[in-house]
Amino acid sequence: MRIKRRLQAAVLVAGAVVLGLLTVQGTYALWSAAASASPGTITSASFDTALTAVNTGQTTTMTLANGTPATLTLSPAGTLGPGTPVYGGVVVTNSTNAGGQFNTAMTASQPAIANVGGGTLAGYISVSAKTAASSAECSTTAGFASISTAGLVSPTVAKGGSTVFCFQISLNANAANASPSVEGKSVTISIQLTARQL
Amino acid sequence: MKNSTLIKGTAAIAVGAALLLGGGGTLAAWNDQATAAPGSIVSGDLKIGLNSAPGVWTDRAGTDITAKIKDGTYLVVPGDLLTFKQDLDVTLTGAKMAANITASGANAANGFVGDSVVVSAPVLTLGATDVVANPLTTSKKVTATITFQFKSGTTGRVDVNKTYNFNNVEFTLSQVLQAGA
Repeated sequence: MRIKRRLQAAVLVAGAVVLGLLTVQGTYALWSAAASASPGTITSASFDTALTAVNTGQTTTMTLANGTPATLTLSPAGTLGPGTPVYGGVVVTNSTNAGGQFNTAMTASQPAIANVGGGTLAGYISVSAKTAASSAECSTTAGFASISTAGLVSPTVAKGGSTVFCFQISLNANAANASPSVEGKSVTISIQLTARQL
Repeated sequence: MKNSTLIKGTAAIAVGAALLLGGGGTLAAWNDQATAAPGSIVSGDLKIGLNSAPGVWTDRAGTDITAKIKDGTYLVVPGDLLTFKQDLDVTLTGAKMAANITASGANAANGFVGDSVVVSAPVLTLGATDVVANPLTTSKKVTATITFQFKSGTTGRVDVNKTYNFNNVEFTLSQVLQAGA
């Protein structure tokens, strides 16, 4: 008798559950419709800056394919001597493929000068710089100035545009007093170029 | 004797049949009829579709760049803010029709790393600025707006040459019961 009652109760509960589920499902049976749009794909641009040495025409991108900064040798023309500066330069081109406006500013840092193979030549070297519209201006003496701690900042370089950094390397007049340690010596002058989106 | 019984039985059947025919005569009494015309029941409609005018991409200045986005020649850089607008035609008819419209853009494939881009969820408006208040009860033109922002604070060369594919943005119109329906 007890078993029979339990069975009846179970059947009653099951019936109530089924009824409840059917009732809930009924609310999902209302109309619905859908549509979809395909806005497409957004692609970001490259941030490529091309460098060309004024005297040699050697070129590179500022950042190599592996993501590391490139090094470009400028090789100033002529032989450095007291009262005889030498000149070099680099053409910096904003070669991004950005779809919209993409202005940049280039900055040349203060130089780091180091002796190569001994000597004291580095102590008598001074580097001045200027920005120019064309590489031809690098061989003219006007407009050079020492580079401040903030660096030499170029005018705005628009997409596809270029600017030129010209460098003048001079030998201090006092170098004549230290001839043995400066004659026939070499130095490396490192200047870091930075491109910044405006 | 047997023939007599047979004859009597046949006669009884004939009389009974005649009585039945007589009873049928009651069908000939008066009767009448009338016709009501409840009319036709017509169902309403619930439909959503893209407006015939295709969706439009604009840049921060409001310039239409849809064609460039489509052919992949508009490449974004940090600081870009692009807006996509798509008009939707919502059809709702029915005396007690009401429906909620929702949008979902969750199936995009984001190739950008970090948090250099911000993509808004689709915003549904009536006209330019009035945000849709669900449920809708009548047919309307709804505008869906999505923005894509490439943060100007992105540093170095983070996220150059990356892609963000929106795939499909889904718009769903679901009927809801109005009070008294």
